[in-house]
Amino acid sequence: MPGGIIFEFPELFLTGLWLTIQISVLGLIGAIVIGTLVALARVSPLVPLRWIGGAYVEFFRNTPLIVQLFFWFLGLGALGFRFSTDTFESIFRAAATGMALYHGAYVAEVVRGGLLGVDRGQVEAARSLGLSYLQMVRYVQLPQTVRSVIPPLGNIGIALVKNTSLASTIGVAELLYAAEIVESRTFRAEEAFIAATMLFLLLTIPLGIIVNELERRLLVAR
Amino acid sequence: MRPDTWPMFADPAIWGFFFEGLRETIYLAVVSIALSFVVGLLFALGRLSRKRWIRWPSIFYIEGVRALPVLLLIVYFDIKGSALFRPFFALLGLDFDLPRFWAGVLGLSMYTSAVLAEIIRAGIVSLPRGQSEAARALGLSHAQTMRSVILPQALRLMVPAMMGQLTTVIKDTSLVGTIGVFELLKQGGTIYKLFFNPFEVLLIVATIYFVICFALSQASRRLEVGRAPRETRVKIRDIELRDQAA
Repeated sequence: MPGGIIFEFPELFLTGLWLTIQISVLGLIGAIVIGTLVALARVSPLVPLRWIGGAYVEFFRNTPLIVQLFFWFLGLGALGFRFSTDTFESIFRAAATGMALYHGAYVAEVVRGGLLGVDRGQVEAARSLGLSYLQMVRYVQLPQTVRSVIPPLGNIGIALVKNTSLASTIGVAELLYAAEIVESRTFRAEEAFIAATMLFLLLTIPLGIIVNELERRLLVAR
Repeated sequence: MRPDTWPMFADPAIWGFFFEGLRETIYLAVVSIALSFVVGLLFALGRLSRKRWIRWPSIFYIEGVRALPVLLLIVYFDIKGSALFRPFFALLGLDFDLPRFWAGVLGLSMYTSAVLAEIIRAGIVSLPRGQSEAARALGLSHAQTMRSVILPQALRLMVPAMMGQLTTVIKDTSLVGTIGVFELLKQGGTIYKLFFNPFEVLLIVATIYFVICFALSQASRRLEVGRAPRETRVKIRDIELRDQAA
């Protein structure tokens, strides 16, 4: 049976799956927070803030994620900075941080698109009614943005799940790492990779269906 | 800070080292994008085919591959690649060992071909139906219509999106270092393992990637090749968000 090897090494594959899920969820939450802040900076009336936001997006999007992960873990490590005293925790946190920072740049672009999509007249109306800039953002712009950014955020979430595989390169024992360990123990590469493939598909295919459905519904309702 | 870690970069030999890695990175990216364009075009046409036995396998390939991490494909071809091709070479009485470079190319191309197939398909679908109907009414066959009417326009529209994929592939080549190809990142790894200065080396490596990818993405924004309809641009953006790998 394909994937039967999962039950021979349940601790490796299931811990791997669980770590993949953890990093994905933490990374996505972090990316949404960072992305929203960067997007607000990019549309703010303060020029230096806009400039910093733009630089953030361009820099994080145009360098490979794996280089960024190496940088957070090895590069900062060489300067004596560790995310935690515990090695395992340290790697895990470096991976989650790297995921959040990298995908935050993509979230920022999506949220910025949503913010700019809000009609200018509403912004001006809110301001002339006496709302401060921050109140206007909080009560007028952001609520209307939420709806339009949900499908693209879902797509970023899928990318994030797939990209957690890169955490294996800095030593997080997620799914791909589990498959590699099993392969090196048993030399059954075919089975180990089919098992990892199946577990990844178990995460990404339902997510893909949900995102497509959301896209369709929000499109109909718009 | 450790003050003794920067002066070593004055040595041209170090830069020669980075340059070798960069050359490998560019080879990987160019070969992969060329291969995946051809394969992607075939699968895009396959997915639009009216014959079910062509359409279904194409959908299966595209959706299946897009749902997987590139790194998984690369590592898989590294471990299993030789065994996959050995039977063909055995027929010729040859032994075969898949070089790691090509294992990387196969992994990258497999993934990118699925993404490019979706981009090309979005371009084809964005053209008004009247185009193909007019071509057919003028007596062109389906294949002729595709080749001389639809594809030239669709591919033109998709040039910026395909340039975007090129930057993605350049970033993804950094993953091929994990299977032991000495591209830019791996070459940097050799340096910092020797001099214990990952901070400095990784900053330089990141800057090199940034300069290339930033220049390419700016260039693709400036291209003037006509504008796809809004719906298509939204579709392309979603493909890029979901499939931009590393």
